[in-house]
Amino acid sequence: MSLYLEVKNLSVLYDRAIVLNGLSLHVNSGELVSLVGPNGAGKSTLLNAMSGLIKWQHDTLKGTVSGKITLNGSVKFDGAELINLPAHEIARKGIILCPERGRPFREMTVQENLEVGALFLDKKVADDNLEKVYALFPVLKKRSSQVAGTLSGGERTMLSIGRSLMSEPKILLIDEPSVGLAPLIKDSLFERIRDVQGMGVTILLTEQDVSFAFDLASRNYVISRGKIIAEGTSQELLANELIRETYLGL
Amino acid sequence: MFVSILINGLVSGAVYAILAIGFSLIFGVAKIMNMAHTAFYMLTAFLILGAITFLDVPLPLAAIASIIVAGLLGVVCYKLCFDRIKVHETAVMIISVAIAMLFEETILLTFGAQYQRIPPFVEGYFELGGVSILNQHFFTAGASIATLVGVWLLLSKTKLGMSIRAVDQDREIANVMGINVTKTSMQVMGISVILAGVAGAVTAPTIMVNPLMWTNPLVIVLSAVVLGGLGSIKGSAIAAFILGYAETLVVFLVPDGSFLRGAVSLIAMVLVLLIRPEGLFGVAFEEERL
Repeated sequence: MSLYLEVKNLSVLYDRAIVLNGLSLHVNSGELVSLVGPNGAGKSTLLNAMSGLIKWQHDTLKGTVSGKITLNGSVKFDGAELINLPAHEIARKGIILCPERGRPFREMTVQENLEVGALFLDKKVADDNLEKVYALFPVLKKRSSQVAGTLSGGERTMLSIGRSLMSEPKILLIDEPSVGLAPLIKDSLFERIRDVQGMGVTILLTEQDVSFAFDLASRNYVISRGKIIAEGTSQELLANELIRETYLGL
Repeated sequence: MFVSILINGLVSGAVYAILAIGFSLIFGVAKIMNMAHTAFYMLTAFLILGAITFLDVPLPLAAIASIIVAGLLGVVCYKLCFDRIKVHETAVMIISVAIAMLFEETILLTFGAQYQRIPPFVEGYFELGGVSILNQHFFTAGASIATLVGVWLLLSKTKLGMSIRAVDQDREIANVMGINVTKTSMQVMGISVILAGVAGAVTAPTIMVNPLMWTNPLVIVLSAVVLGGLGSIKGSAIAAFILGYAETLVVFLVPDGSFLRGAVSLIAMVLVLLIRPEGLFGVAFEEERL
């Protein structure tokens, strides 16, 4: 296992509000790492920064109030620096974001959504990947010609993971996969994320549901106010009383 | 009369549809409300006129070359103006009006204000149900519909079309799925202006060209976009046909209707905004677009 994805001293400021405050973490190849923490701790911002979205917002909103974004630090993948790359190039290196609530292309069908994921692959490879994704998520196959805007929350999350898998990602950044899902759907999604890891994809996911994250991940980070405050396996973190009571609420 | 209404409505509807689709595309993908859209339509007509009168270029070649030149000019406008200020949507709109005025004044200075004629692509006429219809009208309708089919194929069957639709629906997600949004926006600007150019080229022989000919189609395009639902490409195309036929019906059925022609689309726009502001095919998820 090699050091694969490394975030060092990452800071994000929206105007003068500090969202990420010199955050560092790393993910090894093949690992499933979770990042837990309360609302507003900076989880989504971290994933957005890693996927290039923050830089994109900074560049496109330049000159407006919401464009006053400062982004500092380093995000390295396989030794290459990503922090100054545009989002689409980061994506083509194999680091794909599954945003919160899936955010499918709502007016496209499920199948078209999946095809967007494989836009930059050969047709044959794309077809193979489509079969794999349908095998993993049979519900998507059932809904393949349905417009994505009509999907349920769980289906949207699955579609978003499926769409990412279409591009043969190396690392998936999954933002709050379990948010707003019924327990039964949550369980099935849990298994699917396991399956995705089994396919050799490295995963970094954020969660508010600590038990969901801890059961799934081999290693966890606890984030609060834009900083990592604890790191370890689920057992280690649960054994630490202070962390458990203050940050995990268990 | 029925045949005349059918053909005339089809001709104007198809041309409006091309214009409206181009307008919707660049608005959806790059959030550019391009008031100069129909100015490119006017410009293409005059480029053709210039090419055949000053350079003696044969008409079909002049048409194709003019459409390409207009498209390139569109990309230049995008690079020089829109791209730099695209975050300020109001400024983009004002700049586009300025570009339209620039084109209008330039044409006015070079070609003068008088009405001028461009020869038809095809000569002669055709008898249908006791009415004679100019072959040029068939050509205009045919070329327009072929263009519409082409756009539909581009959007639904090609990778570029898939990227365009993805960017149209969610720029951020398109971006993190590996689509170069800036490049796609520029390509769409080119496509959009080329569509305006095609509309200008196929319409020019059926009307008298003059430097102010862009204003009326602009009103129609805006009405079509409102009627179809802002952001819906399909909606604006269908609305364009509805407006084309509505205009034709008024011209043929209302006494002195040709004076009312320009009012039809304005009335439609006001009515839609009063009764159903989201338009016929208003996107239900509009508020969630990013």
